[in-house]
Amino acid sequence: MSHTVLVCDDAIFMRTMISDILQQSGFEVVGEAETGVEAVAQYKKLRPDLVTMDIVMPEMGGIDAVREITKFDPSARVLMCSAMGQQALVVEAIQAGAKDFVVKPFQPSRVLEAVQRVLG
Amino acid sequence: MDLSRYADLFLTESREHLSAMNHLLLALERAPRATEPVAELFRAVHTVKGMSATMGYGAVTTLAHEMESLLDRVRQGEREVSADMMELLFQGADALERAIARAVAGEPDPAESVTVAAALRDFAAAAPARKAARRSKAAPKAPRVRATAPRAKRPAVRGTLLKVRLKEGVVLKGARAFLVVKRAEAVGEVLAVEPSVEALQKEEFDRDFGIRISTRSSADKVAEVLRASGDVESVTIEGAPVAPAMSAAAAPVPDAPAAPTRHVRIDLRRLDALMNLVGELVIARGQLQQLAGASADPALEETVTQGARLIGEMQDEIMRCRMVPVAQIFDRFPRLVRDAARDAGKQVEFVAEGQESELDRSMLDEIGDPVMHLLRNAIDHGIETPADRTAAGKPAAGRVTLSISRERSAATIRVSDDGRGVDRDRVMTKARSLGLIDAAVTAITDEQLIKFISRPGFSTAARVTNLSGRGVGIDVVATRVRSLGGSLEIRTVTGKGTTVTARLPLTLAIVRAMLARVADETYAVPMTHVTETVELSAAQVRTVQGREALLLRDDVLPLVRLREKVTLGASSAPMQQVVVMEVGERRAALVVDELAGQQDIVVKQFDPVRGGLPLFSGATILADGAPALILDVGSLL
Repeated sequence: MSHTVLVCDDAIFMRTMISDILQQSGFEVVGEAETGVEAVAQYKKLRPDLVTMDIVMPEMGGIDAVREITKFDPSARVLMCSAMGQQALVVEAIQAGAKDFVVKPFQPSRVLEAVQRVLG
Repeated sequence: MDLSRYADLFLTESREHLSAMNHLLLALERAPRATEPVAELFRAVHTVKGMSATMGYGAVTTLAHEMESLLDRVRQGEREVSADMMELLFQGADALERAIARAVAGEPDPAESVTVAAALRDFAAAAPARKAARRSKAAPKAPRVRATAPRAKRPAVRGTLLKVRLKEGVVLKGARAFLVVKRAEAVGEVLAVEPSVEALQKEEFDRDFGIRISTRSSADKVAEVLRASGDVESVTIEGAPVAPAMSAAAAPVPDAPAAPTRHVRIDLRRLDALMNLVGELVIARGQLQQLAGASADPALEETVTQGARLIGEMQDEIMRCRMVPVAQIFDRFPRLVRDAARDAGKQVEFVAEGQESELDRSMLDEIGDPVMHLLRNAIDHGIETPADRTAAGKPAAGRVTLSISRERSAATIRVSDDGRGVDRDRVMTKARSLGLIDAAVTAITDEQLIKFISRPGFSTAARVTNLSGRGVGIDVVATRVRSLGGSLEIRTVTGKGTTVTARLPLTLAIVRAMLARVADETYAVPMTHVTETVELSAAQVRTVQGREALLLRDDVLPLVRLREKVTLGASSAPMQQVVVMEVGERRAALVVDELAGQQDIVVKQFDPVRGGLPLFSGATILADGAPALILDVGSLL
């Protein structure tokens, strides 16, 4: 069984790219979300093995979404997708329960490494 | 990774964000203290920044970054929105748009990217920031860090000291270090972190930091865990070196099924190619129908009829796929109106109606510019200055309305203003000087008016402005609309305003046409302009003001002989036919040798020829494989 992933980002561009990277390595992208609210709802519905989470999103940002998801499922595995210069936000996300982070611009190998760490 | 296949997606999505940014900037300009537009602007710019960094578009990333920084200061309440700032942000949005276009096209970055980015940076740095406010907002959760990871204040004598070295050039190394500390916390009690967690977060360290930990697991085990936390070069236990961290490279899981998708994205070029193919199919259908009709084989005829119906359905379905909301194009107009009004020193309230309508993409691509010219004309020549308006008893702010509606077979686009109206006297003076009207004429109709001002180079604008004065007038719009198979109408009332209405076919690709023959040639007349056909009888032909005219019921229509237009000799045909043509409210009777029925034709547009071919708007291949020219009805009237 391949691992299931929920990809959360408000940009289709980013969702497509992350999905492509993961699918090419055999992950199954079971859902996408473009807002924090959607991310939480999708998580509860799909219970994916992994969530990739953008920090800046409309309707509840990524950090609050991580908080909600971890509250619902303390074992949730969330990988934050951050931009450069978002150090404080990344730290906050980790405190909220995120397991790891990758920094944009993404390199597929870095993303996959981080994913393996989170799942491993 | 091959990024080129993401370029289109990047462009599409960036455009959406740019469009949103322009709307948000306009909203912010109206309400400079509103927080919501700032937050959304920040988000839009931030998204563009992230995407462009991924694509490796440096200039775009830098611009977006500087805009983001300035917006962040506004968001944090450190800066107030000023007129100067708005101007700079608008400039930034424009520069961003151009930089994106250049980057995607693979062209060198525009020089303005650098200057605008620098201007944004200088502006953001100019006023002193209230640092306290920024700090407290930027890292609101700092105290909690202390609670979970105690600093080295307590005497750290117990436990094991693990020295961690991060890899060279780690991005966000503070957060990375923090993650290592978090991992350590998961396997034991972290007694101390050196330097402090706060210092780590602020990146006040090079690559090395220490974690003193009390744990039941072996030190090796803990080191193993820490090494696996990513970007860790080595972990050393109390001075004893440990082998460098193994790269936690991802092991791809093979043979996974592709993820289910609910919709697919289609390259527009594919859709265009499909449309072209259907166009060819439509032609083939015509040929098949002719052959089947001639064969007198009922079974064949029935099959062909069924096939023809299916091709028709397919055409409808593909046409529907190509429909896009006009908002995609019209989105940029509020910004355009704002800029134009500012440049002209006028106040304009802009109303857009019917943005939810859908049009064929080919048409939508074409009408953007004509509509832009009409709007600029309305602001530049229609709307008066606030002083003039007040003096005339009107509200200081003028109103420009853009509305679009779709009927069964045509789209109507209307631009109206409540300005001064077209100056009939000046148009008449100019028309007289060009010999278009008699010196004795003292009044002209709206039809004459549009005919005059649609003439290339006919402009009453005395001064040249940044906007409509660049030789872009109603004549350019009229020519464009006509070449699209549409028509233009104008209604103007002095002192009350002007309304320009463009009627356009729903698609450019396939039109229904009446086929008319003159001598051995076949010509196509688009059905959108055909109202009826009649047989020509000599008794109906009159001479009015030295010109031939057709008496049709109560109307007198100008008579146009196609033979003469295409410079063929007089007809020897015993009976001639008349096609009654209509563009807007103007009508004319076109005399041809014979009619050859109706047909769907696939329009192949001509490249505009300078001064040539005023009679034809394009060409097509008929069902029998013969080429035919498509008449430009507007130029015949």
